[in-house]
Amino acid sequence: MDLDQLKQILDLVRAHELSEFEIEQEGLRLKIRKDAVGAPAVVVHAPVPPPPAHGGPAAVAAPISSVSSGSSVPGGAPTAADGGDAEIELAVVKSPIVGTFYRSPEPGAPSFVDIGTLVKKGQVLCIIEAMKLMNEIDSEYDGEIVNVYVETGQPVQYGERLFAIKTK
Amino acid sequence: MNSNHSEPLPPDLAEAIARAGDRLHGVGSTIHFFPTIGSTNDVALTLAAQGDRDLAVVIADEQTAGRGRRGRAWFSPPGSGLYISIVLTPGLARVDPERATTLLTLAAGVALAEAIEAATALRVDIKWPNDLLVSRRKLAGILAEAVPGGEAPRRVMHVVLGYGINVGPTAYPREIRDRATSLETELSRPIDRAAVCVETLAAVARRYADLLDGRFDAILDAWRARAPGSRGARVAWQAASGPQAGVTEGIDERGALLVRVGDRIERLVAGEVTWL
Repeated sequence: MDLDQLKQILDLVRAHELSEFEIEQEGLRLKIRKDAVGAPAVVVHAPVPPPPAHGGPAAVAAPISSVSSGSSVPGGAPTAADGGDAEIELAVVKSPIVGTFYRSPEPGAPSFVDIGTLVKKGQVLCIIEAMKLMNEIDSEYDGEIVNVYVETGQPVQYGERLFAIKTK
Repeated sequence: MNSNHSEPLPPDLAEAIARAGDRLHGVGSTIHFFPTIGSTNDVALTLAAQGDRDLAVVIADEQTAGRGRRGRAWFSPPGSGLYISIVLTPGLARVDPERATTLLTLAAGVALAEAIEAATALRVDIKWPNDLLVSRRKLAGILAEAVPGGEAPRRVMHVVLGYGINVGPTAYPREIRDRATSLETELSRPIDRAAVCVETLAAVARRYADLLDGRFDAILDAWRARAPGSRGARVAWQAASGPQAGVTEGIDERGALLVRVGDRIERLVAGEVTWL
């Protein structure tokens, strides 16, 4: 569903003075309810996708925006930095699975990335082992690693923060 | 990656594979054979990264840099073992691809145990999640590595399933001598490597089909039947909070090992578990 379709639906809801409207389509559930003042409130639900998908609702990396690197507001929408003209885009890479986190391919080997490493989209950031399957986690972004939240050998949960990447 | 080129299959292996026919369900429709290679998984990972190589098989007579979990070497001398890697794509499963991916390594352990039994009649135990043991000595090891393939928005995960099976007795390095065994050591007779190889490909193909079609219970039941240590055995492992010990209580529907510690149940999905 694109913005135009959403706008059409909102217009229809207004035109027909509906107090509540719900539609489910291709895994997306849209619910519109008028509050007391009459302004429609929109709630969008989407299912959890099987594997992590970039930009999906349970995305590995949640794009966030912040004025100071290191702060994190998972799921927050990008906003302009207040007053400053330089906007810093931070992407937080989250674990797509439960498992054990490894920063290097094997003990003693150099880490895939460190703070300050410039990474390209598709570059391996770490390995997470689950059920003895070594999962390479790669970057969805071009940018610079500005934070590493987990240490080698540490168990990680689904959705746990792994890295912060400054994308601009 | 080394620059070796694959060579034609040895005649005995080519014949055995031709005889297997439909039992392979397309596994090995492309086979790359190397008399000697660094690591079959590395070759298969490169193939997987090139895309469109689902079910490709890499076989070597010798690995010069055979890898186990976390960089451990897998001793791979020529002529005495089977070193095989297969490119799989469990994300293509028709039912619950995520669970299919999670259960792949268990399914692989079941498949190899079944293949060895079919080819040699030797009964093999599975240690969670998928080590293959005979009398607590390791007969075969599996190293599964997942790499993202394709482009966003999705990105199907390829899994390279690598395994090594000790076929003939060999002069194992001292540090693994007491913990390793081979088919010929256990059975005291020569073993046809080609036959074992083809049985493993057929068994992996069969259990992989179970995964793709959502027959998860069949895999879990077969696994449980071959893993006596997954119930009522004392184990130890390293948790985030420090060393832990408990008694195994089986595996759950996603293959996690359940361990009773006092009055609570821990659910293990990763890490090193030691049977005491």
